[in-house]
Amino acid sequence: MDLSNEKVIQMYRTMKRIREFESKAAELFAEGRIPGFVHLYIGEEAVATGVCANLKESDYITSTHRGHGHIIAKGGDLKYMFAELFGKETGYCKGKGGSMHIADADRGILGANGIVGAGHNIAVGAGLSAKYRGTDQVCVCFFGDGSTNQGTFHEALNMASIWKLPVIFVCENNLYGISMHQSRHQAIQDVADRAVAYNIPGVVVDGNDVLAVYEAAKEAIDRARSGQGPTLIECKTYRHRGHFEGDPTIYRDPEEVNEWLQKDPIIRLREFMLDNNLLAEEDIKKIDEEIAAEIEEAIKFAEDSPFPPVEAAVEDIYTDIVEEVRR
Amino acid sequence: MKAIGIIANPASGKDIRRLVSHATVVDNNEKVNIVKRIILSAQGCGVDRVFIMPDTFLIGYKAIEDLKISKELKIDVEILNMKIKGNVMDTIRATKIMEEKGVKCLVVLGGDGTNRAVAKSITTTPLIGVSTGTNNVYPEMLEGTVVGMAAGVVATGACSIDQGCKRDKRIEIFKDGQLIDIALVDCVISRQKYVGSKAIWNIKDIDMVIVSRAHPASIGFSTIVGTSLIVGKDDDFGALIHVNSGNKKVRAPIAAGTIEEIRVDEPRILKLDEAVCFKPTYNGIMALDGEREVPFKVGENIEIKITSHGPYRVIVDRILELAQKNGFFET
Repeated sequence: MDLSNEKVIQMYRTMKRIREFESKAAELFAEGRIPGFVHLYIGEEAVATGVCANLKESDYITSTHRGHGHIIAKGGDLKYMFAELFGKETGYCKGKGGSMHIADADRGILGANGIVGAGHNIAVGAGLSAKYRGTDQVCVCFFGDGSTNQGTFHEALNMASIWKLPVIFVCENNLYGISMHQSRHQAIQDVADRAVAYNIPGVVVDGNDVLAVYEAAKEAIDRARSGQGPTLIECKTYRHRGHFEGDPTIYRDPEEVNEWLQKDPIIRLREFMLDNNLLAEEDIKKIDEEIAAEIEEAIKFAEDSPFPPVEAAVEDIYTDIVEEVRR
Repeated sequence: MKAIGIIANPASGKDIRRLVSHATVVDNNEKVNIVKRIILSAQGCGVDRVFIMPDTFLIGYKAIEDLKISKELKIDVEILNMKIKGNVMDTIRATKIMEEKGVKCLVVLGGDGTNRAVAKSITTTPLIGVSTGTNNVYPEMLEGTVVGMAAGVVATGACSIDQGCKRDKRIEIFKDGQLIDIALVDCVISRQKYVGSKAIWNIKDIDMVIVSRAHPASIGFSTIVGTSLIVGKDDDFGALIHVNSGNKKVRAPIAAGTIEEIRVDEPRILKLDEAVCFKPTYNGIMALDGEREVPFKVGENIEIKITSHGPYRVIVDRILELAQKNGFFET
């Protein structure tokens, strides 16, 4: 497979941006400066990065409650993301959606989603739309292992397969559905096994190796673009932090956590780049510093932005009750 | 004790080759079924104890539970008491423990990669490789019932093991004089730099293939040799071929449903223990039995040999024929 040095470096930059964004979000949440909940993507960066490195801006993604990484990998703007987390008017959803509802239709980001399993069928809709309009767009549907017990997962795979839709289902299997280990909620170990029931390819990859994810995603995306239909890719990965910020994670064995920390995807790619002379230590340091500055700038933008006015609470909603409320 | 061991790899048969080729899908519940058939037929052929490697899918526990519920299980079946990591080290450690426990035959469910892991630590115990992987050259497509019978014949000493087993060849990889890894079937020298999704399928990156066995009625990279030169399992030689060089073209089944036209030179026979030495001029990777495994760097001293130090393989049909001649099946 052709994978240029520039692409590898770009993927490092993306993973690092996600890591730094999430690390800052954890700090800000702990300080009480972010309202609501945040579900952080730290540890899983290789999945969104390796997949989205194969996408065009016009392609679609659907995301989850753990969506910041997907949005960043698809090109989301950190300023508007932080502003949304802060509940500011300049945020992606005018400060009314928060962490779990970030969307950017211009970049094909069809939305993070607070409902587990709600993205599957949106992705099928996007795939159907692309096929109907005759474009070469694809839609990547990100989801966790827990959501594959939802009916929507099965409905989506079935329909995408029957109509050979350009949808790539990417399961981020981090072993836990909230606090429940996968072995306690599924009679299978590999979600990819479920693909065979819908007559589509299902593969398992190391979700902590961005190069492995990139390779599998490239094959699946090329396949979807050429009209051969959907694929299910299961990425075995791990979240370094709790299900949500504040989760004490007493359900995980510290030894297990430690083992996965040793497989940190960013450290692995960093070592690969150094071993193969793609970059020197000082080059990586420079990238890291640039990203740190970008994050600080985005936070400042968010902090300096105004909160939405009270009247905005009844804007951009569907019901006629709005008029009564206004009165 | 007439004991056998079973290692079933829950991760075999699921890699990217389901996407880049049309490789077989073997889900883990079918592996549980195969293990049940092996246990029952081994039990029916005189085995009194079975050891099973623990794994993340609990294949052994599920098989035991089902057989207890159906009241078919009459013998002791024990899951090894070992902490598992969910990686290849489980297979390597389980092999060692089973040999220490004195199993008379080891049954391995997986592909070439799983059997390669077993081969890293197995010594004298006869091995039966059962294909539940991807490109299966080393393990064979065998019905679990037949496997259990053959394991029973070996474990009960119903016939001469030496007549029904054969020591296989293996490929040994050395760096700076140190043995660093092995392969059972093929070693591919690739210009790719990274392990990535492990499987290898892109011909254009490949410079050389070294095989311990090769046949056109096979699958995978060994067939690049096998379509020009047959190297039998029992031949006392291997072979080497340069890829993307030379004037000859062959069509070879490098993956399930994938016939590639490949430019090659003539294959060269490698005698046992003959060293192939090279100093790479680029950073690349060696794929062993179809999986990218061993990175190498410019200037390293690489040495590759075919040796006769592979596993002691049970020739299933031969061992059952010998058992039949000895009246083993008469009750």
